[in-house]
Amino acid sequence: MSQFNESKSHFIEQLPETVLDKVGKAIGPFEEVTIQVTTDMVDTHRYGSRWLVVTNHRLLVLAPDDSTPEDMQISMQSLKTVHMEPMVGGGRLMLVPYDGESVCLFYSNSLSLKFAEVAEGIKRLIDGDEPNLPLEMDQTRCHKCNRLLPEKGGICPACIKKTDTLFRLLGFIMPYKTQALLLVILTLFTAMLQLAPPYIIKFIIDDVLTTGQSADQLYFYVGLLFGLSVILWVSEIVRRWLNTWVGFRAIEDLRTGLFGALQLLPLRFYDKRKIGSLISRMNNDSELVEDYMIFDAPFILSNAVLVIGIIILLFTMNWELALFVLLPVPPIIIVASLVWDYLEDYWRRWSIQWSRLTTHISESINGIRVIKAFSQEAYEGERFEEHNQSLRKASVSSERSWLVFFLMTNFFMSFGAFFVWYFGGLQILDNKLQLGELMAFIAYIWMLYTPLQWFSDYYSFIVRAFAGAERIFEVIDANSEPFDQTDAVPMPLIKGHVNFRKAAFAYDPGKNVLRDIDLEVRPNEMIGLVGESGVGKSTLINLITRFYDASRGSIEIDGVDIRDIRLADLRSQIGLVAQQSFLFNGTIAENIAYSKQDASFEEILRASYAANAHEFIIKKPDGYDMLVGEQGRRLAGGEKQRIAIARAILHDPKILILDEATSSLDTATEKKIQEAIARLVAGRTTFAIAHRLSTLRAANRLVVLDAGRIAETGSHTELMARKGIFYRLVKTQQESSAIMAVKG
Amino acid sequence: MTSSISKISDRTEQPPVIISHPGDVAGSQLRLTRDLKQILHLTIDSDRTWSRVKVVRAAPLTHPDRYISFLDEKGVEICMIDDPGSFNEETLNIINEELDRRYLTSTILSVRSIRNEFGTSYWDVETDRGEREFVVQNAEEHVRRLGSHRLLILDVDGNRFEIPRLEKLDRKSLGMIERTL
Ligand SMILES: Nc1ncnc2c1ncn2[C@@H]1O[C@H](COP(=O)(O)OP(=O)(O)OP(=O)(O)O)[C@@H](O)[C@H]1O
Ligand SMILES: [Mg+2]
Repeated sequence: MSQFNESKSHFIEQLPETVLDKVGKAIGPFEEVTIQVTTDMVDTHRYGSRWLVVTNHRLLVLAPDDSTPEDMQISMQSLKTVHMEPMVGGGRLMLVPYDGESVCLFYSNSLSLKFAEVAEGIKRLIDGDEPNLPLEMDQTRCHKCNRLLPEKGGICPACIKKTDTLFRLLGFIMPYKTQALLLVILTLFTAMLQLAPPYIIKFIIDDVLTTGQSADQLYFYVGLLFGLSVILWVSEIVRRWLNTWVGFRAIEDLRTGLFGALQLLPLRFYDKRKIGSLISRMNNDSELVEDYMIFDAPFILSNAVLVIGIIILLFTMNWELALFVLLPVPPIIIVASLVWDYLEDYWRRWSIQWSRLTTHISESINGIRVIKAFSQEAYEGERFEEHNQSLRKASVSSERSWLVFFLMTNFFMSFGAFFVWYFGGLQILDNKLQLGELMAFIAYIWMLYTPLQWFSDYYSFIVRAFAGAERIFEVIDANSEPFDQTDAVPMPLIKGHVNFRKAAFAYDPGKNVLRDIDLEVRPNEMIGLVGESGVGKSTLINLITRFYDASRGSIEIDGVDIRDIRLADLRSQIGLVAQQSFLFNGTIAENIAYSKQDASFEEILRASYAANAHEFIIKKPDGYDMLVGEQGRRLAGGEKQRIAIARAILHDPKILILDEATSSLDTATEKKIQEAIARLVAGRTTFAIAHRLSTLRAANRLVVLDAGRIAETGSHTELMARKGIFYRLVKTQQESSAIMAVKG
Repeated sequence: MTSSISKISDRTEQPPVIISHPGDVAGSQLRLTRDLKQILHLTIDSDRTWSRVKVVRAAPLTHPDRYISFLDEKGVEICMIDDPGSFNEETLNIINEELDRRYLTSTILSVRSIRNEFGTSYWDVETDRGEREFVVQNAEEHVRRLGSHRLLILDVDGNRFEIPRLEKLDRKSLGMIERTL
């Protein structure tokens, strides 16, 4: 698939020989190829490829093989239009000529983004413009190893080396490098000290006990043993103390980094992921890394030193016996590598079951009201039991396989001891070996086998910890919002002139929610956005706040493309009362002051008066100090909304966005808020969305959205006179409720 | 644009024809036709006509063969037919063609390899549409079990793959799938 590597532009892909020939024959010498892309489906029934080659004169649809009957050619003049038809799991690009049958190109979802751009490009070509294709497209394959990427434009897990992850983890220790260095030295020191006692025992047996010399030497050796133990004990205390000191600090930094990264990620990142799985990254993955840094890494280091030291010692003492000691090591390594994959699978299944169980628990606690209201406690219990059972099964099988593995390696190891006893015993009988040496050997064997056996275990810890670290780094590395874009235009004082220029937007490629939005809003104008549910009103304002960026076209504020405005400046001057008011777990005052952390209590009071929130707050026993509960659970919907409005008022934004800000209010309260809003909108550019059209009474202009486009704009009277969509909306509302009738 | 389309958008003053309940329209009253430009037209009782009709399944996973819904140009439902057995043959053929085209779900015939790496799995499979490689992230979210034997897999791009009967797969493929899930 070389076309992924060497293409000049993303829309001029490298042609295979056969297609190159066909193109050469079909086009004239001076024809310029503007688009040259491949599909991944021949028709709806077959994967395969078809090539679409577009020049300024014609469009070619070519099969990659020699056969020509399916190849087609349409001249640019005879092409009426192109359109994309999204399907479930893919789509087709229809080239519609003025007469004759349309030509279809089929593609799977993997290419829908590309073909959305291609379709737009061809449309512009038909109009005689430049195709104007985007320069950058997210990569689907790794540019190094050409493997499919887990995420478009993401990192290739195969290409980030384990050592890179290790170095990055080490990077978190760097701020504490003196302590870390001391730690390593201490670790090496204690490991080496541990090697001494068996050797001293050897001297006690061979030089003291078997020769029957005086007790003086015994005192000396025992004294030495005791001294060593004391030193070992002290250095162990210091080592562990240092270890936790460094490890927990590094982990704290890692967690802070992860949380910071999560805050800066764009909303698109969150759209694709379950909250539960992100929380699990925050909790489980950092715990894995924590365990690794605090317990496993030092253990591995000291045991590695121990193992190497013992092997060297054994060989210098008696190389023949040493060979026997090492005899069981190759089979252990072979067995370990054979069953390793299975063990990993078991472990993964176990962790999947865990995350299912946790998701279910958190979901049922969050939805406890709904569960109770429909008395589905028993049903939830059953579902839980199902998850619980699967978890048990997964735990049992993973434990069991570990056990089998453990016992097997143990068994092999005991062979080493048999060999040493047998061959060592023979050597003693032959007077080639002394008893003390044999005893030391046996002691060293167990000191050697125990860490060896755990090495496989450590390997699993390392794998898990690195997997956790990689998941964390993936979040940290994900493209965050461009807060620190250096060439951004600072805009500390926005005037409030907002201009949509042919803006279009799609959450999923090819399925445009908004298209061709052209709208110029003067400073301090109030725009009412109207349209049926799901038409894209909230989406439109999401573009102003830059929660999402327009897929095509642009939005300008005071003449500057918002993508070039410093994000912090932009957001700090936009006030948003979102459709779902969100309150944090804290007091009412804290929630109002969320938009301006240093607000004085007087300011909070003023905002709350203006939002007509004061009257209900004052009735609460704790007033402004009332705790609202998680997500504001202890407040009524209308109360939450008023707090959210007060928050926006306190923020004192230049551009105010009210998305259904008054939907949960009764008409009397809404009336009060109307006044508040009327006060609020003075001197600000305002976008207000409301289903209850009376709310938009104060708007200078109403914009009616229909099927993702602006269908009508104008004042209330103008739109009523037009007798279009707006007129019908008003009429329906008047019919359904006389009270809410809109005054002209 | 053809004249029939503009007529539909003028239809605003008339009350819409609400016949979406399965019981209200029988399949035999419907006629689907395709014109030269591949545009679909739906006629009910040979007097009401819609162009640029879409045929969709209401529950593509759980009831793929029932509850066929017809949408107009704007995506508003014209009617829904519970049991497609009552359609005449020509209409039924077009419906099947349309459904076939709309739902690009490939059936996995055998698995050549699945590689697992940190919550991401790389699949290389043989499907009814040919060979295909794809990537699945968070198997626990994107591999859905439908009943005890059916599996629906959603890859990172939103492509769909189905295994209608797990037990019909060869042992090797089954083993690889089991190890992934
Ligand atoms: N994060 C998202 N990912 C994918 N699609 C989305 C997302 N958010 C909204 N949509 C879809 O985009 C369309 C427009 O949604 P939007 O929220 O803008 O509607 P709205 O006009 O605000 O509706 P309402 O009046 O009910 O609030 C809907 O079809 C919706 O399903
Ligand atoms: Mg909305």
